[in-house]
Amino acid sequence: MKKASATLLAMTLGLAMAAPVAHADGYGTAGCGLGSILFGDDPGIIQVLAATTNGTFGNQTFAITSGTSNCADSGGGSASAKAFIEANRESLSKDIARGQGETITNLSALAGCADEAAVGTTLQKNFSEIFPEASVNDTQVSESVLQTLKSNTALSCKLLS
Amino acid sequence: MRLAITLLTTILLAGCAGRLKMADRPKPPGTPYVDALVERAMHDRLDRSKQWLRLGHYRPERFGDGWLSEADHPRFFLASDGQDNPRAELEATLRGFFLPPVQELPVGKAGFARHPICRFPARLAYLAEALEIDMARLPTQACPRYGKFLGDVNPRSVTLVFSSYFLNNPASAFGHTFLRFNKAQTMAVGQKRELLDYAINFAADVDTGNSVIYAFKGLLGLFPGTTKRMPYYYKVREYSDTESRDIWEYHLDLTPKQLYMLVAHIWEIGHTHFDYFYIDENCSYRIHMMLEAANPEIELIEQLGPAVLPADTVKVLFDNPGLVREVTYRPSLRTELMHKVEALDSEQRDYVERLADRADAPLPGDWNDARKVAVLDAALDLVDTRHVKDLVFKRDPEAARKKQSLLERRADIRVPSEDRPVPVPWGRQPQIGHGSGRLGAGVGLRDADAGLLDGGFLALDFRLALHDLADPSPGYPELAQLEFLPLRLRLWKSEDDAEALLEDFSIVRIVSLTSVSRFDMSMSWHVDFGLRELEGEGCRRCLAGKLRGGTGLTGSFADEAVSLFLTADAAIDLAGESDVGIEGSFVRAGLGPAGGLRLRLDPELILLTRGSFLFYPEQPDPRVWRVDSALRWGLSQNLALSLEGAMLDNRREGQLLLLGYL
Repeated sequence: MKKASATLLAMTLGLAMAAPVAHADGYGTAGCGLGSILFGDDPGIIQVLAATTNGTFGNQTFAITSGTSNCADSGGGSASAKAFIEANRESLSKDIARGQGETITNLSALAGCADEAAVGTTLQKNFSEIFPEASVNDTQVSESVLQTLKSNTALSCKLLS
Repeated sequence: MRLAITLLTTILLAGCAGRLKMADRPKPPGTPYVDALVERAMHDRLDRSKQWLRLGHYRPERFGDGWLSEADHPRFFLASDGQDNPRAELEATLRGFFLPPVQELPVGKAGFARHPICRFPARLAYLAEALEIDMARLPTQACPRYGKFLGDVNPRSVTLVFSSYFLNNPASAFGHTFLRFNKAQTMAVGQKRELLDYAINFAADVDTGNSVIYAFKGLLGLFPGTTKRMPYYYKVREYSDTESRDIWEYHLDLTPKQLYMLVAHIWEIGHTHFDYFYIDENCSYRIHMMLEAANPEIELIEQLGPAVLPADTVKVLFDNPGLVREVTYRPSLRTELMHKVEALDSEQRDYVERLADRADAPLPGDWNDARKVAVLDAALDLVDTRHVKDLVFKRDPEAARKKQSLLERRADIRVPSEDRPVPVPWGRQPQIGHGSGRLGAGVGLRDADAGLLDGGFLALDFRLALHDLADPSPGYPELAQLEFLPLRLRLWKSEDDAEALLEDFSIVRIVSLTSVSRFDMSMSWHVDFGLRELEGEGCRRCLAGKLRGGTGLTGSFADEAVSLFLTADAAIDLAGESDVGIEGSFVRAGLGPAGGLRLRLDPELILLTRGSFLFYPEQPDPRVWRVDSALRWGLSQNLALSLEGAMLDNRREGQLLLLGYL
């Protein structure tokens, strides 16, 4: 029994030491994109641990007292709409292709647009300008979405300046 | 169980529960009015009032009869000994409110509030009411950043959000909880724009990618836990899209005053951190401490055990009648995909699969738009579930091109997608699941070869957490098993006295089964790590260290009521003082197939049979097989009857246990 528990302890340590280790530079990207809050590495022990214990990487942007940075703001207006588009890009691209959906409803509210259905149809029509190819980055996407909303004055997105 | 954990945590915590060292601060000058307030507060013993103690996150000291705040930054205290002296802190707070006004940081600047009025608005609200403070006598202090915070959050109501388990990652079966403030204006228009609401999340600020350091720091409370505010959409994208976690929302019934206290208190704790302990002082614990601080009438923390599991914290909400107004559900992207696919015929499903591989594959020309849209929508969700992280991190151009091509094709069809909401799986609500710990006892009978214990025995069962495949299924993922410290003991009566035998013990045992479908080819796997009675002839009644694992495939049918799994297993046994291992050593190593069948006859009645056949080449027991079966019937939420049997080369045994979940 004594020997068994000693071996057990050795196994624990061995297992822990042999665990694949992620690197601290693997997560986080600049900007408001979803990448700024996710673990970037492929699944490994660290992700399992984080899932178990709900650890996150400290992000000053979201501190309660940090003042309102762009990424933490969902109060309406161009800056918050831009952050929304960048963080929701993958989901929003599908809703734009479909011409409707939750992200379009919420984006319309941020931009102060009168008619979200019209926003959906307009964005869908302009799909190829917003997403001309797979490699456009999040900032380019957010700029073209906002440009589309602003230039279609019939949408009267009054919170965009 | 509580004793064991208390002991364990005490050992872990010894040495790191040190108090804050703070320089003595000058006592603010008093005026007769302030002196009178202080005197009255002391006379009324407000320093021992429930709400004052809760606002300060004071808890009874582990040793001794004093109080100690769990807040770990001096910024949260105005008295130099405020962390363990609620009385001094109360006096310093009252006097602090009457300090001359200062210039606060302007809106948009990061930093901390300076004047106590701006830093402690919840304390102010509480004391102003309790002592009937004449607000006109307070200094005229502007708090622009706090005002902005209040205006941004602007809540009509608050929701406790539970993100449930993470497919193929049973570690997340514990879940996570955070708060969401539902904005007044979005609710007012009657349209759900909850993505724009603010989430309040408490988590450990992790500063390492090293898993060993991570584990140790987390157990010892060496990570600071901080409170963060972010738009809810970050949380939805994280849990729903990238982690395939369904979300349960518990809408709380707070009065406007309680709601204000909650927001004000969250601002206060934005000025401190709390050492984060995985086991007890974790995210869900702190969220409950915040709720209690805002509402002295509710009792949450006292209902929790020594280990705080997020699902347990959801359960205790319901111990306060009327606190939960409504429960809602948000399916994950993967759940949505599976729901979409269900509505398709087999020809359409073929095309979904084809498109996810070759995005430019043509669709039949005779299909109408609705048919094409259904297939394109499902294919897009499929590409997302497979590649979401690659897409977010832009590390797989091929996946990005695939998605781009499908998006273009979808955008060309100007027809709305059919709106088919996912039916709410009420049977999976975490609060209806069995308790997280387990204790049980029963009787058994063994028929074994000579040399082994034989005859009748008493069986004892213990498990710290959480769930196995045979446990009643309501509230838990159907095909995931996650166990910490499961223990089976047997008491045998021999001629003159009783003998205890450890039958099986694991530090951790995980089974993750994922039903293979054409849209999800994830592997199933299991690991088990601990001690067990050795099988085979070479060493009888030997206790062996075990490290076993395997990987394979699972097929599920009839809404996961029938699941069959097959894995290729490897085992290493460390058989104590024996020589049954490789070349006469005590190390055995084996390989072989294993598998099982799980039948959910009813959510409360599960039949689980598992078998394995391991080869130990060149070792004294070259072939070891065993079959285990359990039929478990949930009598109520926290009580089950388990009939279990096992067959091995040299023994057959059966036992009947009554299991209580706590």
